[in-house]
Amino acid sequence: MVRIVSGSAQGVDELAAAWAVRSAERALTPQEQQQLDDWLSQSSRHVGAFVRAQAIWTDVDRVVALDDTTRADPVAPESASRWRRYAIAASLILAILVGGITYDRFVGRIATARAEVREIALDDGSRAVLNGGAVVQVRYDENSRQIVLRRGEALFDVAHDTSRPFVVTADDVTVRAVGTRFAVAVEGGDIEVTVAEGTVEVAKAGEPPRLIRANQQFVVAPTGPRRASLDEAEIGRRLAWERGLLVFSGQSLERAASEVSRYSPVPVVIDDPTLARAEFVGVFRIGDGRAFATAAAQAFNGAVVERDGGLHLMRRPSSPSH
Amino acid sequence: MPCRMDHGSRLRWFAREVLPHEADVRRWLAVRLRGLDSCDLDEVVQEAYARLWSADLDRILNPRAYLFVTARHIVGEHLRRSRIVSIELMADLEELNIVDDEVNAHRRLSGQQEIARLHRIVKELPPKCRQAFQLKKFEELSQREIAARMGVAESTVEKHLAKALRFISDKMKSAEDEAEVPSVGTNRLWKRARR
Repeated sequence: MVRIVSGSAQGVDELAAAWAVRSAERALTPQEQQQLDDWLSQSSRHVGAFVRAQAIWTDVDRVVALDDTTRADPVAPESASRWRRYAIAASLILAILVGGITYDRFVGRIATARAEVREIALDDGSRAVLNGGAVVQVRYDENSRQIVLRRGEALFDVAHDTSRPFVVTADDVTVRAVGTRFAVAVEGGDIEVTVAEGTVEVAKAGEPPRLIRANQQFVVAPTGPRRASLDEAEIGRRLAWERGLLVFSGQSLERAASEVSRYSPVPVVIDDPTLARAEFVGVFRIGDGRAFATAAAQAFNGAVVERDGGLHLMRRPSSPSH
Repeated sequence: MPCRMDHGSRLRWFAREVLPHEADVRRWLAVRLRGLDSCDLDEVVQEAYARLWSADLDRILNPRAYLFVTARHIVGEHLRRSRIVSIELMADLEELNIVDDEVNAHRRLSGQQEIARLHRIVKELPPKCRQAFQLKKFEELSQREIAARMGVAESTVEKHLAKALRFISDKMKSAEDEAEVPSVGTNRLWKRARR
């Protein structure tokens, strides 16, 4: 990565902008952090300029979110559309008071933190449940109910309304429903649609739409689309996060641990390769890595050791080997 | 830090409670400090942001007034430090003590105005810089994805974005845009209740 050089040629605002952009993009390396700290400690002016640059950069997101909402109702009567917006806002704000979602103050954009799963009541009676680390944008108007899934996974329980289709967009894929229950996930380059009830229509830009029915999963991947039939139990397992639960029914302990660690503030690490392959059954509350590690240790006569900021699962020396 | 807010909340607080007043505070200072070359406006504003950052934000009831007062203090300190201070300037500084109408008369931009301003600024960005900015902020792509899409190095994307931020931050210094667009009486909706 390019070094941000604090030379005299560059102005304070210029350096502040460079640091603000970089630190918003990713975690700084220890060396970069040191460089930044050095620069900040040189002058309180640098601190002020950096705060200002970060605030401006963050604030662009808020204005962009406003714009999306606004585009959804172009020439609707001012007062009516405003009230609608505030009605949606009211329902969202309620959810925030209950759940503490990161909500960008204005209608439209909702984001969840890594370890939270939150339910959002939408003003048409539909319901959206966001998995950890998800970002959605809600755009409702008289003719359509639109949700843009920017990141992560969300499940939708759609209130029946034939006059206003419910459309979820993820990248160039649209999922259309009238009244049903389905989940959409953006993972890597894949867009995954899982239908629990009813039927949805999935269309990738430039391709004819496909009908995906209950207990089916459809994945749009860079390598081409694929469709899978899943039984009800598997669908239930995959969507258990909606209830704040993780369900394992014979997955390898390694896979289970990586899924648990996705939500847990303390990752669960499996040190023993034979343990990693063991099949695991259990139901856990999302975010509770400790309960998972303890249960897995009990099930396989192992032990949990906490070190290096992780929960390490290992076999007891006395345990019978497989 | 004495404040309970986390980093992100503090930044959003700044965006919401301080940024909208910056242009006014600059104009207010500029009018009263004409001829004070040594006292750079940017310097005063940066210093003010730094002081606000270390304050207990939860306890600031009127951020706009707090910003004005902080800026005034900074100018005052600056004048006391400089050896020669003209009588004229001191008189002007006295004036800064008065919390006048300007401090209280603030109108927030409506959402529409904010959007319009952002689009105006984006339009003025150089093409590559604009493209990177749009992919970052409108499409929410990562710098890596933007680099792949534009066929340039990731470090080039970062430079474009920093340039865009620099440009926007310069625009925030003046309130010209606000003056151009008449207020449409929707301010009420965007104002927060005072705590």
